[in-house]
Amino acid sequence: MITLLRAPPFAAIQDLGRFGHRGSAVPVSGAMDPGSLARANALAGNDPNLAAMEWGIGAGQLRLAPGVVVGLAGADASVRREGDVLNVVEFQAGAWLYIAFRGGIDVPLVLGSRSTYLPAGFGGFEGRLLRTGDVLRVGAGGSGAKQPVPDSSLSRLNPGTFTVVPGPDRPLLDEPTWRRFLAAEWIVSRAVSRAGYRLEGPLLPFEAPDDLPSAPVCPGTVQLPPGGRPIVLMPDGPTVGGYPRIAVVVSGDLGRFAQRRPGESVRFSLP
Amino acid sequence: MSDALQATIGSLGDRAVLLTLHGDREGCNRGIVRLSAILSAECREESPRTIVDVVPALVSLAVFFDPRLVSARTIERRLLALADGLTDPGPDSAARLHVIPVWYDGPDLAEVARLVRLDPDEIVRRHTDREYRVRFLGFAPGFAYLGPLPPSLVVPRRSEPRRRVPAGSVAIAGDQTAVYPLDTPGGWQLIGRTTLRPFDPSRSPPSQFAAGDRVRFVRVAS
Repeated sequence: MITLLRAPPFAAIQDLGRFGHRGSAVPVSGAMDPGSLARANALAGNDPNLAAMEWGIGAGQLRLAPGVVVGLAGADASVRREGDVLNVVEFQAGAWLYIAFRGGIDVPLVLGSRSTYLPAGFGGFEGRLLRTGDVLRVGAGGSGAKQPVPDSSLSRLNPGTFTVVPGPDRPLLDEPTWRRFLAAEWIVSRAVSRAGYRLEGPLLPFEAPDDLPSAPVCPGTVQLPPGGRPIVLMPDGPTVGGYPRIAVVVSGDLGRFAQRRPGESVRFSLP
Repeated sequence: MSDALQATIGSLGDRAVLLTLHGDREGCNRGIVRLSAILSAECREESPRTIVDVVPALVSLAVFFDPRLVSARTIERRLLALADGLTDPGPDSAARLHVIPVWYDGPDLAEVARLVRLDPDEIVRRHTDREYRVRFLGFAPGFAYLGPLPPSLVVPRRSEPRRRVPAGSVAIAGDQTAVYPLDTPGGWQLIGRTTLRPFDPSRSPPSQFAAGDRVRFVRVAS
């Protein structure tokens, strides 16, 4: 059992995502930083896909039942264990901390995943953010065997440059605008959510055809809406979109990208 | 005989291959629906599953694959082979038909009447006198884009989107109509409501609608 003595402003249960239903417009959801979720799980002795807590910036407190093994990864946060209480004190760097428990968190599978999809209120713990007073059960999903621990992606070592490949609508941009997109230093805006991160920087003016047909998108897709400020779609983002898809952040870099906070800079480069 | 639909192949990041059809949009969309149905059926049979998701849209579809099991190149070849010689399959009268009872009392009905210069009864008559086709799903789980609307009912989206549109709202925008599956923000014009809930994550499949399905609305006497 795990009791939330004090919940942070934004924490929910995630695994590696919900696959097989994107054709019905169900987003993949899952961890914003899947590599760090896998690492937290490995440290707890779990398979990479077990459900764990995804904890956004903020302090909080948990009480653990005796014998619960914990794995922590992701954001660089000070976490102290005092007896049966785990205190998340503050975040030094990064945006998402993963707290895994041996055996995983026991919540029902919804459409093949335990990830929370907040906009529709399903998955995870009652389809919602965790609240003070919630009591979570630990599952029997872990082997308990020692798992290989994936490489750390400590956010303080995060250089802030991310690999993109050209998106399907890259040809809509002229060469100078595309070069400007790649050369600019972008700032993560305050408008961040599990669905997408908006970026601020130089405007990228261009005329998108007004009859651009709605087309598939995925986490990492960089959309350029009218107004010229890019949005990077994240795991709760839509499955189909109408804005030009100028680039896509490669899957191996998206978790590290998710760890950038509002106000921090990002740059994009080609492979 | 209809002409072959021209297909091009591209990528959407490093985990998805994209196929786009070129030509008349309704014809291309029917082609995409056909390809998507074939691929989805094939990948249900597959073990292990190299394809994790097939996402059809208006004139293109994305195939998300497992890079541990298959290369983008293999998926590209498979898609090109499937699309080779593809023609507009035309209307599919065997597709599943949904009949949806609607109370036409939406908060935007008066505004739509003003925009299209028809009285509300005539709008209802025109909205109910034809069969629509699910072009694709998007925007929110279970949200089906239905079309085409009669040209006389084409209206723009609201200039101010609503922060919350109740589930079951029946709406129009552009040449399309839809039922909101969940409470979500939304910018379409609300003309009615239904008790149908097109999406339920505890159901299998969770979405009532699939691309290619036929839909007809009927008026409920108020």
